[in-house]
Amino acid sequence: MIRFMSLHKRFGEKVILDGVDLEVGRGEVFFVIGASGVGKSVLIKHLVGLLRPDSGEIWLDDQEVSRLSERDLAPVRKRCAMVFQHSTLFDSMSCVDNVALPLRKHRALGHEEARAEARRRLADVHMEELADRFPSELGDGMRKRVAIARALTLEPEYVLFDEPTTSLDPISARRVDRLIRDLSDRLHVTSIVVSHDLTSIFTIADRIAMLYQGKVRALGTPAELRALEDPVVQQFVRGEARGPMET
Amino acid sequence: MIAGAAVRAVSGIGSAFLGIALEVGSFGVLTARLARRLAPPDFDGTELRKNFYRMGVRSLPIVLATALFTGFIMTIQAGVVIGRYDAEGLIGWAAGFVTLREVGPILIALMFSGRVGANNTAELATMTVTEQVDGLRALAIDPLSYLVLPRVIAMVVLLFLLTVWGDLFALIGAAVMGEVMLGVSRHVFLRGLLDMLGLWDLATGLIKSAAFGLMIAIASCHFGLSVKGGAPGVGRAVNASVVAAAAGVFVVDYFLTYLLR
Repeated sequence: MIRFMSLHKRFGEKVILDGVDLEVGRGEVFFVIGASGVGKSVLIKHLVGLLRPDSGEIWLDDQEVSRLSERDLAPVRKRCAMVFQHSTLFDSMSCVDNVALPLRKHRALGHEEARAEARRRLADVHMEELADRFPSELGDGMRKRVAIARALTLEPEYVLFDEPTTSLDPISARRVDRLIRDLSDRLHVTSIVVSHDLTSIFTIADRIAMLYQGKVRALGTPAELRALEDPVVQQFVRGEARGPMET
Repeated sequence: MIAGAAVRAVSGIGSAFLGIALEVGSFGVLTARLARRLAPPDFDGTELRKNFYRMGVRSLPIVLATALFTGFIMTIQAGVVIGRYDAEGLIGWAAGFVTLREVGPILIALMFSGRVGANNTAELATMTVTEQVDGLRALAIDPLSYLVLPRVIAMVVLLFLLTVWGDLFALIGAAVMGEVMLGVSRHVFLRGLLDMLGLWDLATGLIKSAAFGLMIAIASCHFGLSVKGGAPGVGRAVNASVVAAAAGVFVVDYFLTYLLR
């Protein structure tokens, strides 16, 4: 269970999160949607301590995590993996070494053992043939799959996906969707997915929260969101250029 | 009007000093955080080995070439005075004294700063702006232990070792040029060097080189990790790092020269 309680965050004068309250249940695929710059990525970065809130609390099961030190955050980060929007693979390492790194550091595996395990993990995302390539030699979709393999190496209970299908071709995007859904269905991994991708949102989400002007504007299942009469929500879910969100 | 300009000037000077104080304070904080990871040792051995190769082996040719030419130049410059006073026997001492205590450590440090320090800042800054450092933190890997401490250890040890080699090549250069240009035999050069200089002269330079290595490492890592503002920010970070490292090397040199005289 993840709970954001009255979360506030501002950068300088700009208020990003203005009292966000959310609860995400075990095994859910939970989408956070909203216009660009509304604070979706900021919200999930708080969960793994990459950002600190100005006020409010974040609970991961029975632990309040928003004020933990970097050292105390390490166990939280092992349980709660994050896949960044731009993959953030390490340029200086091959794909297999990228995936082997957390195994080497946290599973006390030797160099070759960790590489062998990393190859198996890459096979799970159909990247075994490109395991020895460097990230700069791969396309966005491939990099994203390697990043997902790396995030899953420590077998986390929670995975945070920051725009996992952005800049992917439709086929790669649907493969990523299927992977996220499978994680929940087969392994009961809880996923929080930040996304604009309407196809993903209405295909694999269990529940959706829409952020608007620093607050949760709407919360519910895909069907409930579609049925809402709120013009802001409707403009977003229909992908319309004109509407109240313009202002 | 004049009063306004004076206030602005004083305010500008104040801001500049506050900025310098802030950076120096940040260097201190980073050094303390790294020192805490030394006992017990908490750094990545694979990264340390990689950095030894990248920073050391690849710097060796340029450092040795610089040192050799420095030795040539010192003898050419000294030759004028040596010839005038008929003091050829002193050339070994003069070259050794200047090289071991001052010119060797400082020239090699500046060369190292330009090559390794700037590269280190650019690499860390790029990793920071592309969220690779956050990526490490999200994997529960401490960036200071994994990325920074191996680089700092490598830079301190390597600058020390490069200075040993650089000193040797500079003295060889000075001896060769002394023989070719001034007709001072290698034996006379060596006698002047060994008779009039002690181990302390060598140690002074090597203590300085380790301190310069720490200065360059801390400055380059600090500016790399604190970068803001995408690609232009990386350029600014590299610039700030090179300037701060060079200025820092001279300031540290002043204090160490005073203390170790």
